[in-house]
Amino acid sequence: MIQIHNLTKCYGKLAAVDNLNLQVARGEIFGFLGPNGAGKTTTIRCMMGILKATAGKVLLDGHDVVGAAQQAKAISGFIPDRPFIYEKLSGSEFLNFVGKLHRVDAARLSKRIAELLEHLELTPWQDELVESYSHGMKQRLVVCGALIHEPRILVVDEPMVGMDPKGARTLKDLFCALAAGGTTVFLSTHSISVAEEICHRIGIIRKGRLISCGTMSEIHAQTDGRNGNLESAFLELTREQDLAVPAAQAL
Amino acid sequence: MSSVALLLSPLWLTWKNSFLRGARPWTRRLSLALLAGMFWFGTYLVLRRVLRYFETVHELGPALAYQLLLIILLTFLSMLLFSNLVAALSTYFLARDLELIHAAPVAPNGFFFARLIATTINSSWMVLFFSLPIFAAYGSVFGGGIRLYLWVAILLPLFLLIPAAVGALVTHLLVYAMPAKRIRDLLFFIGLFAFLIMYFLFRFSQPERLVQPESFGNFMQFLSAMETPSSPYLPSSWLAEILAGTLFKRDTEPGFFFALLASYAMFLPLAASWCSSAVYLDGWSKAQESRQERRKLVWLDRLLDFLTRPFPAITRAVMLKDIKTFLRDTTQWSQLFLLAALIVVYLYNFKVLPLDRSPMPAGTLRTVVAFANLGLAGFVLSAIAIRFAFPAVSLEGKAFWLLQTAPISLRALLWSKFWLNFVPLFFLGELLIFCSNLLLKVPGWMMTLSLITMFLMTFGIVAIGIGLGALYPNFNYENAAEIPTSFGGAVCMIFSIGFIGIAVMIVAWPIYTLALRAFQRGRIFLPEYSVIAPPLLIVLALTVVTVAVALRVGIKHLERLKD
Repeated sequence: MIQIHNLTKCYGKLAAVDNLNLQVARGEIFGFLGPNGAGKTTTIRCMMGILKATAGKVLLDGHDVVGAAQQAKAISGFIPDRPFIYEKLSGSEFLNFVGKLHRVDAARLSKRIAELLEHLELTPWQDELVESYSHGMKQRLVVCGALIHEPRILVVDEPMVGMDPKGARTLKDLFCALAAGGTTVFLSTHSISVAEEICHRIGIIRKGRLISCGTMSEIHAQTDGRNGNLESAFLELTREQDLAVPAAQAL
Repeated sequence: MSSVALLLSPLWLTWKNSFLRGARPWTRRLSLALLAGMFWFGTYLVLRRVLRYFETVHELGPALAYQLLLIILLTFLSMLLFSNLVAALSTYFLARDLELIHAAPVAPNGFFFARLIATTINSSWMVLFFSLPIFAAYGSVFGGGIRLYLWVAILLPLFLLIPAAVGALVTHLLVYAMPAKRIRDLLFFIGLFAFLIMYFLFRFSQPERLVQPESFGNFMQFLSAMETPSSPYLPSSWLAEILAGTLFKRDTEPGFFFALLASYAMFLPLAASWCSSAVYLDGWSKAQESRQERRKLVWLDRLLDFLTRPFPAITRAVMLKDIKTFLRDTTQWSQLFLLAALIVVYLYNFKVLPLDRSPMPAGTLRTVVAFANLGLAGFVLSAIAIRFAFPAVSLEGKAFWLLQTAPISLRALLWSKFWLNFVPLFFLGELLIFCSNLLLKVPGWMMTLSLITMFLMTFGIVAIGIGLGALYPNFNYENAAEIPTSFGGAVCMIFSIGFIGIAVMIVAWPIYTLALRAFQRGRIFLPEYSVIAPPLLIVLALTVVTVAVALRVGIKHLERLKD
């Protein structure tokens, strides 16, 4: 469903993403992990056609995100790490706008808006201006926007930031339900517990390169089974040689 | 719904919701509307008065009015060009909703034209607002009837669309060639430079010569020069030609000029759209990549450290932070160039004043002008205070929580901002008064009185700016330039002018008394100078009350923010 071939993105001399190759199947939840500045968000932005790659190709359900941008975007939904919502629009007005951008027909759109608002517990707030929403409510509204057109691929960048435990639980259940229904979920996250809990496979990126990719047991196998959980495996794989000790001592 | 209308829907929904559901009380909206209406009506009345005066000058009247129309439209065009460049950069490349739009399957053409309309509206509404009383004044003096208003309704959208399309086209090419965040700085400098040149050219070309026809060879030569546009290739001249045909019953070719205007208004958006389809994706991608490098200026850090040493540590930290953020924000500090230009032009005006040709005795006239100068310099100072002192609290922006949670009292915070603004404004005010009075060759007592009054007024002007800035803070601004143009900015201007008016009126009495004695007797005896003292004491008391009240009102309001 998602195919990334030799993806490279350079900022000047710095390669933020360096020759990345990845495939994600239909109905799979793929966790994309990496330390800060590893290249996760850059990869995602290239995947969504928001950033032009220096080299390589991204295909979403066979559609090239550059050559067939409209087709690729029509079947995908995106939840950015710092989402923008028009503050002076109400929740339902915002969803109505996003739905029309994705060409959802009018009759289906109003039904879909009601469903999503209900599911993410925003119905009582639908006519309030977004400026009066809490951070978590804004996050949930953005999720509604990304799902309004029933995308076949959902790309999510840091979804749990600022969510309360109940909101986070709702979201995790939602991703699982979507995957069970055949939607591919590409999830970039810092939260190892989230990845461990819901992802079928995990890719670990460091300095723009994919250093590890596979199921949980395959990742453990890469660290010779020394580590009992994903967190330890992640830390070992992404460890900066000799940097961690002096930093800890300084603290 | 077409994609253009759909993409514009957040814009009009935002307007609708802000208007119907905004937090701003109706009383405040009404007073803002009243203020705008007064400005609109004032522009209409002043221009009508000027045009009526022109009309009384036989044969030359319509030519003068035509020249004025040309200058007004040329000014509009240059303002539109620059504001469209800046607006296009924001709407096409830097707007916060672009990620949302570009993640959706939106047709590039629909996106381009929706943003072009948004750019045109954003950068032209003010010109449109101020142009209407101008056309109304022309219509009321020179006639033209319904035909004039029909022409205006047809031509203005075309006239506004041309600079918007040029702005979009040039912005696309610039962003394609370089990172967007640097372009904003670049554009600012280009605009500032262009404005300064225009301002100097206008001032030093001495437009007052236009009312001295003796400087031309003969009258017919002068008249013919006045009836011809100076730049026939500009859309502003085409628009002026069409309107002149209706207003001054001149034999122009409106059909030809209309065809020119309409064809450019259609061609340029299409050309810009074609260019956008070729370069937009690359430019948009680049706009997200730009990073700026900054050189560290050690000497400046040391100098600032030295200058702020007399203040307590916390106040000093706030002052240093304010100075550094000011100096690092191009849009903030580059306004100083504009200020320098204003000072030069201000002083130049005094140099060219034809005081000796007046029927009044030169000495008395100089004192009268110096008195008026006190008010004018105060006005200049209050305009600058609104640009710099009024936004001081708002500029803390979303980082205001940092100061709220720090062990610094709001009183100390406002005072630190007060002194930071007072010092430069004090030097500026005194410089303006000293130099202009020197050019006017005023007597010593007038110089002293003016300098002391200006010194006292500076305290009040700065306190009103800081205090009302704290009373009407805007921590969620998108652009710092929008802070002084807010409702609070207008209230601040009104209070500031009121304060200057009262202070100047108080010192009017000793000035009148001393000037009269000098005129009647040719000299003033030493004890007579004592008349200066009581009014100065009253101005001092007024200043103390103004400073105390303005800052207290500001502090109280900031304290209420915690409730």
